[in-house]
Amino acid sequence: MKVADAVEVLATTYQSLDAVAQGLEVKASEVATALAKAKPDTVEFVCLTILARYNPVTTQVATPEPIE
Amino acid sequence: MALPSKVLPGFVASFWMQTSAAPFTTANLAVWTAQVATLVGTSAGGTGASGTALATIEAVPVFGQDDAVASFMVAGSRQSDKIPTQSAPTSMTITAAWNPSDAGLLLIRADAYSGLIDRTYVIAAYDGTNTVAYAFNGRVGQFQIDSQPGAEAKAVFTIHPRGNQYGWSNT
Repeated sequence: MKVADAVEVLATTYQSLDAVAQGLEVKASEVATALAKAKPDTVEFVCLTILARYNPVTTQVATPEPIE
Repeated sequence: MALPSKVLPGFVASFWMQTSAAPFTTANLAVWTAQVATLVGTSAGGTGASGTALATIEAVPVFGQDDAVASFMVAGSRQSDKIPTQSAPTSMTITAAWNPSDAGLLLIRADAYSGLIDRTYVIAAYDGTNTVAYAFNGRVGQFQIDSQPGAEAKAVFTIHPRGNQYGWSNT
């Protein structure tokens, strides 16, 4: 699902934002990018903050080579 | 915008209601600019174009969420476990001095007759510079007039907030 569509769903719902956001499949990286550009105190910012809560960006840590 | 970092005195809180029955969506309840600010009057830091004050209320009631918990006991464990379960928003019973032509009280009275009208309400705490707003959608469930001869007449009404439809914002 596109982030913009997910924001639209969240912006127009009367249900719990937490409950709805958990059911929206979006890419965490796209959410993070959009959130970085969003202006605080806007409905987009509120929706993206909730989406980011359930779609955190995870960075993979390189595992060291085993020492023989 | 940064939240004010201070302990707020209770008497600065004021209560506002939407004049049209077009409740905000859940997300918009947490947006101050052009949303919640339009319901809050200029006396509390808002713009006030779409709202009216419930000016005659005696005190802003307790608001928030009730407690709901389930207790579990595990054999052999020293302590039991308490799990928060499905809770309810706190209903607000409000006493106001009764002015029969007060715009806010007339809206409340009509909503009580209906029982179906959703409206956005705002509790605003204002320190002269910053406003912290708790906005929620609710329906009126009770409206009574208490006109005992020893005191001024009172209007007593109860607002039942809709579940999950609340938001915090500030300026």
